[in-house]
Amino acid sequence: MTTTIEQITGRYATLKVNGTPQRIYFEEAGQGRPVLCFHTAGADTRQWRHILNDPELTRHNRFIAPDMPWHGKSLPPEGWHTQEYLLSTQAYMDTVLAFADALQLHRPVFAGCSMGGRIALQLARHHAARFSGFIAIEASDFQPAWYDIDWFHRPDAPGGEMGAALVSANIAPQAPEAERWNTQWMFMQSGPGVFRGDLAFYTRDSSLVGQLGQIDTSVAPVHIMVGAYDLTCTPEDARRTADAIPGATLDVMPGIGHFPMSEDPKRFRPHFEKALNLMP
Amino acid sequence: MTTAIADKLQAMASKLETTPHLLRLGALFSETVLIEIDDHEYYLTFEKGRVAAFNAGASRRTPWRFALRTDKDAIQQFWAFMPAPGFHDIFGLVKIGRGRIEGDILCLVKNLRFFKEFMVLGRQEETI
Repeated sequence: MTTTIEQITGRYATLKVNGTPQRIYFEEAGQGRPVLCFHTAGADTRQWRHILNDPELTRHNRFIAPDMPWHGKSLPPEGWHTQEYLLSTQAYMDTVLAFADALQLHRPVFAGCSMGGRIALQLARHHAARFSGFIAIEASDFQPAWYDIDWFHRPDAPGGEMGAALVSANIAPQAPEAERWNTQWMFMQSGPGVFRGDLAFYTRDSSLVGQLGQIDTSVAPVHIMVGAYDLTCTPEDARRTADAIPGATLDVMPGIGHFPMSEDPKRFRPHFEKALNLMP
Repeated sequence: MTTAIADKLQAMASKLETTPHLLRLGALFSETVLIEIDDHEYYLTFEKGRVAAFNAGASRRTPWRFALRTDKDAIQQFWAFMPAPGFHDIFGLVKIGRGRIEGDILCLVKNLRFFKEFMVLGRQEETI
Protein backbone atom coordinates (compact mmCIF):
# COMPACT_ATOMS: atom_id res chain seq x y z
CA MET A 1 0.00 0.00 0.00
CA THR A 2 1.26 3.44 -0.91
CA THR A 3 1.66 5.77 2.04
CA THR A 4 -0.36 8.97 1.90
CA ILE A 5 0.60 11.99 3.93
CA GLU A 6 -2.18 14.55 3.87
CA GLN A 7 -1.64 18.26 3.35
CA ILE A 8 -3.42 19.16 6.60
CA THR A 9 -1.22 20.56 9.37
CA GLY A 10 -2.25 20.87 13.01
CA ARG A 11 -0.99 23.35 15.58
CA TYR A 12 -1.97 24.84 18.92
CA ALA A 13 -2.63 28.45 19.84
CA THR A 14 -2.88 29.51 23.47
CA LEU A 15 -4.93 32.67 23.78
CA LYS A 16 -7.11 34.38 26.30
CA VAL A 17 -10.87 34.38 25.86
CA ASN A 18 -12.48 36.78 28.33
CA GLY A 19 -9.37 36.55 30.49
CA THR A 20 -9.28 32.75 30.54
CA PRO A 21 -6.35 31.01 28.84
CA GLN A 22 -7.53 28.51 26.23
CA ARG A 23 -5.23 26.13 24.39
CA ILE A 24 -6.91 25.74 21.04
CA TYR A 25 -6.00 23.12 18.49
CA PHE A 26 -6.53 24.01 14.86
CA GLU A 27 -5.95 22.40 11.50
CA GLU A 28 -5.05 24.31 8.41
CA ALA A 29 -4.61 23.76 4.69
CA GLY A 30 -4.45 25.90 1.59
CA GLN A 31 -3.51 29.42 0.73
CA GLY A 32 -5.25 32.66 -0.15
CA ARG A 33 -8.57 33.82 1.23
CA PRO A 34 -8.95 32.78 4.88
CA VAL A 35 -11.99 30.61 5.61
CA LEU A 36 -12.75 29.67 9.21
CA CYS A 37 -14.47 26.28 9.47
CA PHE A 38 -16.35 25.44 12.69
CA HIS A 39 -17.62 22.00 13.65
CA THR A 40 -20.99 20.87 15.00
CA ALA A 41 -21.93 20.17 18.60
CA GLY A 42 -20.30 17.13 20.19
CA ALA A 43 -17.63 16.78 17.50
CA ASP A 44 -14.41 18.36 16.31
CA THR A 45 -12.43 19.69 13.39
CA ARG A 46 -12.12 16.26 11.78
CA GLN A 47 -15.55 16.88 10.28
CA TRP A 48 -13.82 19.22 7.83
CA ARG A 49 -11.08 16.77 6.81
CA HIS A 50 -12.25 16.32 3.23
CA ILE A 51 -12.53 20.04 2.51
CA LEU A 52 -9.04 20.63 3.95
CA ASN A 53 -7.70 17.84 1.75
CA ASP A 54 -9.33 19.13 -1.43
CA PRO A 55 -6.55 20.11 -3.86
CA GLU A 56 -8.73 22.45 -5.91
CA LEU A 57 -10.50 24.28 -3.09
CA THR A 58 -7.25 24.77 -1.17
CA ARG A 59 -5.62 26.41 -4.17
CA HIS A 60 -7.27 29.73 -3.40
CA ASN A 61 -8.69 29.23 0.08
CA ARG A 62 -6.80 28.99 3.34
CA PHE A 63 -9.04 26.79 5.46
CA ILE A 64 -8.55 27.03 9.21
CA ALA A 65 -10.58 24.63 11.34
CA PRO A 66 -10.26 24.86 15.14
CA ASP A 67 -11.51 22.54 17.84
CA MET A 68 -13.62 24.63 20.17
CA PRO A 69 -12.42 24.56 23.79
CA TRP A 70 -13.50 21.26 25.45
CA HIS A 71 -13.62 19.59 22.00
CA GLY A 72 -11.22 17.35 20.11
CA LYS A 73 -7.62 18.17 21.00
CA SER A 74 -8.40 21.52 22.62
CA LEU A 75 -8.22 21.09 26.36
CA PRO A 76 -10.93 22.42 28.60
CA PRO A 77 -9.83 25.41 30.71
CA GLU A 78 -8.04 24.96 34.00
CA GLY A 79 -10.52 24.04 36.72
CA TRP A 80 -12.87 22.23 34.35
CA HIS A 81 -13.31 19.36 36.77
CA THR A 82 -15.49 21.51 39.02
CA GLN A 83 -17.33 23.32 36.22
CA GLU A 84 -20.53 22.48 34.42
CA TYR A 85 -19.87 23.00 30.72
CA LEU A 86 -22.66 25.08 29.25
CA LEU A 87 -21.77 26.95 26.06
CA SER A 88 -23.29 30.41 25.79
CA THR A 89 -23.83 32.59 22.74
CA GLN A 90 -21.55 35.28 24.13
CA ALA A 91 -18.72 32.89 25.04
CA TYR A 92 -18.98 31.23 21.63
CA MET A 93 -18.78 34.55 19.75
CA ASP A 94 -15.95 35.75 21.99
CA THR A 95 -14.02 32.54 21.26
CA VAL A 96 -14.40 32.93 17.50
CA LEU A 97 -13.34 36.59 17.55
CA ALA A 98 -10.37 35.96 19.88
CA PHE A 99 -9.21 33.08 17.67
CA ALA A 100 -9.47 35.19 14.51
CA ASP A 101 -7.54 37.98 16.23
CA ALA A 102 -4.87 35.57 17.48
CA LEU A 103 -4.27 34.37 13.93
CA GLN A 104 -4.42 37.95 12.64
CA LEU A 105 -7.10 37.10 10.11
CA HIS A 106 -8.55 40.04 8.23
CA ARG A 107 -12.24 39.59 7.48
CA PRO A 108 -12.23 35.82 6.96
CA VAL A 109 -15.17 33.93 5.53
CA PHE A 110 -16.93 32.12 8.38
CA ALA A 111 -18.28 28.64 7.65
CA GLY A 112 -19.97 26.67 10.41
CA CYS A 113 -22.27 23.69 10.66
CA SER A 114 -25.18 23.12 13.04
CA MET A 115 -24.21 25.01 16.18
CA GLY A 116 -21.45 26.43 14.01
CA GLY A 117 -24.16 27.53 11.59
CA ARG A 118 -26.13 29.13 14.39
CA ILE A 119 -23.09 31.06 15.58
CA ALA A 120 -22.51 32.11 11.96
CA LEU A 121 -25.91 33.80 12.06
CA GLN A 122 -25.21 35.30 15.48
CA LEU A 123 -21.92 36.71 14.20
CA ALA A 124 -23.71 38.03 11.11
CA ARG A 125 -26.15 39.77 13.44
CA HIS A 126 -23.62 41.21 15.88
CA HIS A 127 -20.20 41.34 14.19
CA ALA A 128 -20.80 41.31 10.44
CA ALA A 129 -18.01 43.77 9.67
CA ARG A 130 -15.43 41.42 11.13
CA PHE A 131 -16.09 38.89 8.37
CA SER A 132 -16.33 38.96 4.60
CA GLY A 133 -19.21 36.48 4.45
CA PHE A 134 -21.04 33.67 6.20
CA ILE A 135 -21.72 30.11 5.09
CA ALA A 136 -24.27 28.88 7.60
CA ILE A 137 -24.74 25.12 7.22
CA GLU A 138 -27.71 23.34 8.80
CA ALA A 139 -28.51 26.70 10.35
CA SER A 140 -31.71 28.23 11.59
CA ASP A 141 -32.93 30.91 13.96
CA PHE A 142 -33.81 28.49 16.74
CA GLN A 143 -34.43 24.78 17.32
CA PRO A 144 -36.06 23.48 20.46
CA ALA A 145 -34.77 20.07 21.54
CA TRP A 146 -36.75 17.01 20.45
CA TYR A 147 -34.81 15.05 23.09
CA ASP A 148 -33.78 15.55 26.70
CA ILE A 149 -30.28 17.00 26.64
CA ASP A 150 -29.63 15.57 30.11
CA TRP A 151 -29.64 12.09 28.60
CA PHE A 152 -26.14 12.79 27.35
CA HIS A 153 -24.40 13.29 30.67
CA ARG A 154 -25.31 10.64 33.20
CA PRO A 155 -23.21 8.41 35.44
CA ASP A 156 -25.08 5.28 34.34
CA ALA A 157 -24.84 5.56 30.57
CA PRO A 158 -22.27 6.35 27.87
CA GLY A 159 -23.24 9.84 26.74
CA GLY A 160 -21.02 9.78 23.68
CA GLU A 161 -22.40 6.55 22.30
CA MET A 162 -25.96 7.60 23.05
CA GLY A 163 -25.35 10.93 21.36
CA ALA A 164 -23.93 9.21 18.30
CA ALA A 165 -26.93 6.88 18.08
CA LEU A 166 -29.28 9.82 18.37
CA VAL A 167 -27.58 12.03 15.79
CA SER A 168 -27.37 9.12 13.35
CA ALA A 169 -31.03 10.00 12.73
CA ASN A 170 -29.65 13.03 10.92
CA ILE A 171 -27.41 11.15 8.51
CA ALA A 172 -28.87 10.52 5.07
CA PRO A 173 -29.20 6.89 3.93
CA GLN A 174 -27.15 7.78 0.86
CA ALA A 175 -24.06 8.49 2.99
CA PRO A 176 -21.15 6.13 2.32
CA GLU A 177 -20.94 3.55 5.09
CA ALA A 178 -17.39 4.44 6.12
CA GLU A 179 -18.14 8.15 6.45
CA ARG A 180 -21.40 7.46 8.28
CA TRP A 181 -19.45 5.70 11.00
CA ASN A 182 -16.51 8.12 10.96
CA THR A 183 -19.02 10.89 11.62
CA GLN A 184 -20.49 9.03 14.59
CA TRP A 185 -17.08 8.17 16.00
CA MET A 186 -16.39 11.82 16.79
CA PHE A 187 -19.55 12.00 18.88
CA MET A 188 -18.60 8.81 20.67
CA GLN A 189 -15.25 10.38 21.53
CA SER A 190 -16.53 13.69 22.84
CA GLY A 191 -15.73 14.48 26.46
CA PRO A 192 -18.24 13.87 29.23
CA GLY A 193 -20.96 16.48 29.23
CA VAL A 194 -19.64 18.30 26.17
CA PHE A 195 -22.46 17.35 23.79
CA ARG A 196 -24.98 18.29 26.49
CA GLY A 197 -23.26 21.65 27.04
CA ASP A 198 -23.27 22.37 23.31
CA LEU A 199 -26.94 21.48 23.08
CA ALA A 200 -27.66 23.90 25.90
CA PHE A 201 -26.40 26.61 23.55
CA TYR A 202 -28.19 25.23 20.52
CA THR A 203 -31.58 24.49 22.05
CA ARG A 204 -31.85 26.98 24.92
CA ASP A 205 -29.44 29.89 24.99
CA SER A 206 -29.13 30.94 21.37
CA SER A 207 -32.23 32.28 19.68
CA LEU A 208 -32.42 34.65 16.77
CA VAL A 209 -36.19 34.66 16.63
CA GLY A 210 -37.27 38.19 15.74
CA GLN A 211 -33.70 39.34 15.03
CA LEU A 212 -33.00 37.95 11.58
CA GLY A 213 -34.23 41.10 9.85
CA GLN A 214 -31.42 43.00 11.52
CA ILE A 215 -28.74 41.05 9.69
CA ASP A 216 -27.25 43.33 7.03
CA THR A 217 -26.11 41.18 4.13
CA SER A 218 -24.73 44.23 2.33
CA VAL A 219 -21.93 44.21 4.92
CA ALA A 220 -21.30 40.46 4.59
CA PRO A 221 -23.39 38.02 2.56
CA VAL A 222 -25.17 35.10 4.24
CA HIS A 223 -25.59 31.79 2.44
CA ILE A 224 -27.57 29.05 4.19
CA MET A 225 -27.19 25.38 3.28
CA VAL A 226 -29.35 22.52 4.49
CA GLY A 227 -29.52 18.79 3.87
CA ALA A 228 -32.84 17.30 2.82
CA TYR A 229 -32.48 14.53 5.42
CA ASP A 230 -31.71 16.82 8.34
CA LEU A 231 -34.26 16.16 11.09
CA THR A 232 -32.75 18.67 13.51
CA CYS A 233 -32.64 21.69 11.22
CA THR A 234 -35.09 20.74 8.50
CA PRO A 235 -35.21 22.36 5.06
CA GLU A 236 -38.36 24.15 6.29
CA ASP A 237 -36.43 25.56 9.27
CA ALA A 238 -33.62 26.76 7.01
CA ARG A 239 -36.06 28.23 4.49
CA ARG A 240 -37.93 30.12 7.21
CA THR A 241 -34.59 31.50 8.40
CA ALA A 242 -33.32 32.47 4.95
CA ASP A 243 -36.61 34.14 4.08
CA ALA A 244 -36.33 36.36 7.14
CA ILE A 245 -32.82 37.62 6.29
CA PRO A 246 -32.96 40.23 3.51
CA GLY A 247 -30.58 39.17 0.75
CA ALA A 248 -29.74 35.73 2.18
CA THR A 249 -29.45 32.80 -0.20
CA LEU A 250 -30.45 29.17 0.40
CA ASP A 251 -29.29 25.82 -0.97
CA VAL A 252 -31.26 22.66 -0.12
CA MET A 253 -28.98 19.68 -0.69
CA PRO A 254 -30.66 16.41 -1.80
CA GLY A 255 -29.42 13.15 -0.31
CA ILE A 256 -27.58 14.85 2.53
CA GLY A 257 -28.20 15.08 6.28
CA HIS A 258 -26.99 17.24 9.16
CA PHE A 259 -23.23 16.64 8.75
CA PRO A 260 -22.65 17.27 5.03
CA MET A 261 -18.89 17.79 4.95
CA SER A 262 -18.29 14.68 7.03
CA GLU A 263 -21.07 12.22 6.16
CA ASP A 264 -20.95 12.59 2.37
CA PRO A 265 -18.01 14.69 1.20
CA LYS A 266 -18.43 13.99 -2.53
CA ARG A 267 -22.08 14.96 -2.55
CA PHE A 268 -21.36 18.06 -0.44
CA ARG A 269 -18.38 19.38 -2.38
CA PRO A 270 -20.16 21.05 -5.33
CA HIS A 271 -22.57 22.74 -2.94
CA PHE A 272 -19.71 24.07 -0.82
CA GLU A 273 -17.79 25.21 -3.88
CA LYS A 274 -20.86 27.13 -4.97
CA ALA A 275 -21.10 28.67 -1.49
CA LEU A 276 -17.47 29.75 -1.60
CA ASN A 277 -18.08 31.35 -4.98
CA LEU A 278 -20.87 33.41 -3.46
CA MET A 279 -18.46 34.90 -0.95
CA PRO A 280 -16.56 38.08 -1.91
CA MET B 1 -52.00 -9.12 13.11
CA THR B 2 -50.87 -9.10 9.52
CA THR B 3 -48.84 -12.04 8.37
CA ALA B 4 -46.49 -9.94 6.26
CA ILE B 5 -45.39 -7.75 9.17
CA ALA B 6 -45.11 -10.73 11.52
CA ASP B 7 -43.01 -12.58 8.96
CA LYS B 8 -40.81 -9.51 8.50
CA LEU B 9 -40.19 -9.14 12.24
CA GLN B 10 -39.42 -12.84 12.58
CA ALA B 11 -37.04 -12.64 9.65
CA MET B 12 -35.31 -9.74 11.40
CA ALA B 13 -35.02 -11.83 14.55
CA SER B 14 -33.39 -14.60 12.50
CA LYS B 15 -31.05 -12.14 10.83
CA LEU B 16 -30.05 -10.85 14.26
CA GLU B 17 -28.76 -14.34 15.05
CA THR B 18 -26.31 -14.06 12.18
CA THR B 19 -25.19 -10.51 12.98
CA PRO B 20 -22.41 -10.95 15.56
CA HIS B 21 -21.72 -7.28 16.21
CA LEU B 22 -25.36 -6.67 17.09
CA LEU B 23 -25.43 -9.64 19.45
CA ARG B 24 -22.38 -8.13 21.14
CA LEU B 25 -23.96 -4.64 21.31
CA GLY B 26 -27.17 -6.08 22.75
CA ALA B 27 -25.54 -8.36 25.28
CA LEU B 28 -27.00 -6.34 28.17
CA PHE B 29 -30.39 -5.77 26.56
CA SER B 30 -33.15 -7.94 28.01
CA GLU B 31 -36.46 -6.17 27.55
CA THR B 32 -39.79 -6.56 25.80
CA VAL B 33 -40.52 -4.08 23.02
CA LEU B 34 -43.93 -3.43 21.54
CA ILE B 35 -44.08 -2.71 17.83
CA GLU B 36 -47.56 -1.52 16.94
CA ILE B 37 -48.45 -1.17 13.27
CA ASP B 38 -51.87 0.43 12.84
CA ASP B 39 -53.86 -1.47 15.47
CA HIS B 40 -51.80 -4.64 15.30
CA GLU B 41 -49.47 -5.45 18.19
CA TYR B 42 -46.21 -7.36 17.99
CA TYR B 43 -44.18 -8.12 21.12
CA LEU B 44 -40.48 -8.79 20.81
CA THR B 45 -38.88 -10.12 23.97
CA PHE B 46 -35.13 -9.68 23.82
CA GLU B 47 -32.91 -11.74 26.09
CA LYS B 48 -29.26 -10.66 26.16
CA GLY B 49 -29.56 -9.26 22.64
CA ARG B 50 -31.44 -12.19 21.13
CA VAL B 51 -35.14 -12.37 20.37
CA ALA B 52 -36.19 -15.03 22.86
CA ALA B 53 -39.91 -14.71 22.21
CA PHE B 54 -42.12 -13.19 19.54
CA ASN B 55 -45.85 -12.79 20.05
CA ALA B 56 -48.26 -11.23 17.60
CA GLY B 57 -51.72 -10.14 18.62
CA ALA B 58 -53.35 -7.88 21.14
CA SER B 59 -52.34 -8.42 24.74
CA ARG B 60 -52.98 -6.54 27.94
CA ARG B 61 -50.92 -8.97 29.93
CA THR B 62 -47.59 -8.46 28.23
CA PRO B 63 -45.57 -5.73 29.95
CA TRP B 64 -43.29 -3.83 27.61
CA ARG B 65 -40.44 -1.40 28.26
CA PHE B 66 -40.93 0.88 25.29
CA ALA B 67 -43.07 0.93 22.18
CA LEU B 68 -42.80 2.09 18.60
CA ARG B 69 -46.20 2.82 17.11
CA THR B 70 -46.57 3.60 13.43
CA ASP B 71 -48.65 2.65 10.40
CA LYS B 72 -48.14 0.03 7.72
CA ASP B 73 -47.30 2.42 4.91
CA ALA B 74 -44.77 4.27 7.08
CA ILE B 75 -42.98 1.12 8.26
CA GLN B 76 -42.84 -0.18 4.71
CA GLN B 77 -41.30 3.10 3.60
CA PHE B 78 -38.89 2.82 6.55
CA TRP B 79 -37.84 -0.60 5.30
CA ALA B 80 -37.34 0.60 1.71
CA PHE B 81 -33.79 0.35 0.37
CA MET B 82 -33.42 4.15 0.17
CA PRO B 83 -36.13 5.67 2.36
CA ALA B 84 -37.32 9.22 1.79
CA PRO B 85 -36.50 11.98 4.31
CA GLY B 86 -38.27 11.34 7.59
CA PHE B 87 -38.82 7.66 6.83
CA HIS B 88 -35.11 6.92 7.22
CA ASP B 89 -35.06 6.70 11.02
CA ILE B 90 -37.44 5.82 13.86
CA PHE B 91 -37.09 9.35 15.22
CA GLY B 92 -37.77 10.62 11.72
CA LEU B 93 -41.14 8.85 11.78
CA VAL B 94 -41.90 10.72 14.98
CA LYS B 95 -40.71 14.02 13.54
CA ILE B 96 -42.97 13.77 10.48
CA GLY B 97 -45.94 12.68 12.56
CA ARG B 98 -46.01 9.08 11.33
CA GLY B 99 -44.80 7.41 14.50
CA ARG B 100 -44.79 7.58 18.28
CA ILE B 101 -42.26 6.27 20.75
CA GLU B 102 -43.64 5.63 24.21
CA GLY B 103 -42.68 4.08 27.50
CA ASP B 104 -39.21 4.10 29.04
CA ILE B 105 -37.48 6.36 26.51
CA LEU B 106 -34.28 6.45 28.53
CA CYS B 107 -34.05 2.65 28.24
CA LEU B 108 -34.42 3.03 24.50
CA VAL B 109 -31.78 5.76 24.32
CA LYS B 110 -29.32 3.72 26.39
CA ASN B 111 -29.72 0.92 23.85
CA LEU B 112 -30.39 3.12 20.88
CA ARG B 113 -27.69 1.91 18.53
CA PHE B 114 -28.67 -1.71 19.10
CA PHE B 115 -32.39 -1.13 18.64
CA LYS B 116 -32.02 1.14 15.61
CA GLU B 117 -29.72 -1.34 13.90
CA PHE B 118 -32.14 -4.15 14.72
CA MET B 119 -34.98 -2.21 13.07
CA VAL B 120 -32.82 -1.60 10.00
CA LEU B 121 -32.34 -5.37 9.61
CA GLY B 122 -35.70 -5.28 7.83
CA ARG B 123 -34.50 -2.82 5.24
CA GLN B 124 -34.47 -4.04 1.65
CA GLU B 125 -31.11 -4.68 0.13
CA GLU B 126 -30.00 -3.06 -3.09
CA THR B 127 -31.10 -4.97 -6.16
CA ILE B 128 -28.71 -5.07 -9.06
